[in-house]
Amino acid sequence: MEMLQIAGLHKRFGDKEVLKGLNLTVPEHSIFGFIGRNGAGKTTTMKTILGLLKADAGEILVNGEKAVYGQTATNRYIGYLPDVPEFYSFMTAREYLGFCGEITGMTKKEYRERSEELLELVGLNGEKHRIKGYSRGMKQRLGIAQALLNRPKLLICDEPTSALDPVGRKEILDLLLAVREQTTVLFSTHILSDVERICTDIALLNEGKVDIQGKLSEIRTQYRRDEYLVETDNEEGMHGLQKAFPDIRQTGQNQLVFSEKDYAPGEVFRFVADRAVPVVKIERVEPTLESLFVEVVEK
Amino acid sequence: MKSLLAFIRKEMLEQRRSGKLIILGILFIVLGIMSPAIAKLTPWLMEMMAGSLAGSGLIFTSVSVTAMDSWVQFFKNMPIGLIAFVLIESSIFTREYQTGTLLLSLTKGLERHKVVAAKTVILVILWTICYWLCAGITCGYTAFFWDNAMVQHLLFSVTCWWVFGLFAVALMVLFSTMAGSNTGVLAGTGSVVLVSYLLSFFSGLKKFMPTTLMDGTSMIYGMSQPGACTVPLIIAAVMIPVCLAAGVSIFNRKQL
Repeated sequence: MEMLQIAGLHKRFGDKEVLKGLNLTVPEHSIFGFIGRNGAGKTTTMKTILGLLKADAGEILVNGEKAVYGQTATNRYIGYLPDVPEFYSFMTAREYLGFCGEITGMTKKEYRERSEELLELVGLNGEKHRIKGYSRGMKQRLGIAQALLNRPKLLICDEPTSALDPVGRKEILDLLLAVREQTTVLFSTHILSDVERICTDIALLNEGKVDIQGKLSEIRTQYRRDEYLVETDNEEGMHGLQKAFPDIRQTGQNQLVFSEKDYAPGEVFRFVADRAVPVVKIERVEPTLESLFVEVVEK
Repeated sequence: MKSLLAFIRKEMLEQRRSGKLIILGILFIVLGIMSPAIAKLTPWLMEMMAGSLAGSGLIFTSVSVTAMDSWVQFFKNMPIGLIAFVLIESSIFTREYQTGTLLLSLTKGLERHKVVAAKTVILVILWTICYWLCAGITCGYTAFFWDNAMVQHLLFSVTCWWVFGLFAVALMVLFSTMAGSNTGVLAGTGSVVLVSYLLSFFSGLKKFMPTTLMDGTSMIYGMSQPGACTVPLIIAAVMIPVCLAAGVSIFNRKQL
């Protein structure tokens, strides 16, 4: 089942067309990485899903229900974490979650229990101070807690890790991974290592359109070029290989890459074994998200 | 209803913890004490200045102060109170736009009109408490030193001023839904009041202008009758809900 479906979304700010017919499908219980450069339209897309911006054209279905601008009833399925979440700084984390619980119509018992559960999950259960003194990482964690409060079916996070240090980033990514059982996660980012770490599905947004979309593993297979990398221990070994296989390409220091089309891998491996070429590693080249991203953006 | 009450509670907590409640409280208590205090001190001040003024030909025999002077002072002080109130509370909406704190509440399904309703309720409660606290203090001291009985239409004129404050609150709410910063709110509210004030100089228009409600001094002296305030009261009573309804409608379409 699809948790979110977007078809032909258009949005223009003045004379700048930000979204040019964006199509996106987010399957249930996926961790969906929404990748794009700064200014590609990630935040615009998310705000339109939440009914904070009015789309010029296109349709958005959240859990099969149409999302509309203004009074957005579909928001009851959604938990939202903006890129820089802002809370009422005069409250404590517990008070804030209580306030959120009350405006979403939870009973006192419900939101008290859920708040404790979530504060423990995000590691803020011992925090008694007002939000005013929180670090960015703490605010981001509280942001996740408030977004998960009413057990949303879809958690939308706008660049949750981009402003954090490595420790804070790891904490947020671990959290997103942990909540996958409970919800579907859609998060935008331009940090590709984050995507590789936790995402099951991705979409690459470029110039207002989604260029590549699908399961990360399938995309990797699809874009795999059947290339192998051989790294030798010394230059002699590398030269030996280059002499025997003229079409082999040098890609770095003592690093060679060949395509299956040019040479059968077995043949190269046999050469390495027979001549006892000192190798550091032999591996099949996986397309990195970075190479894919660059390829899409530069197309 | 539950979410509206939750938002009102949040607003109250904010007023308390940000210190605004205390500032407003102190301000209006001081204003309330000042009116009779100034009246009481007037003879003494005159005596102090009598010597220097005698040189310029002004001679004071005896200055008698009554409850009237205390209330005249009250109506002179109130504009300061209202301006301070508007200044302090002008960012009640706009601060939330600027920081983005509303975003999370609205994406949680809080209906937009409840935001306007909650903030309006808080402003009305604050204005009402501050104003009547101030008026009550003035009334108490005036009764202690003099006699309120000689003041004509006292309760009516004081109530008219309170209604004018409510009108200003409605304007604040309306301009808060339009403007992005509190400067816009101050400019909008200020200009409407100023235009109304300037128009009231034309005798033909004066009877329609809500600013006439501020003219408590002529009423307590009996120079104008409560009837003169009927039309401005009706206009204010119509304008207040119109401003609030327009505010809700604008806020519903506002891009945040």
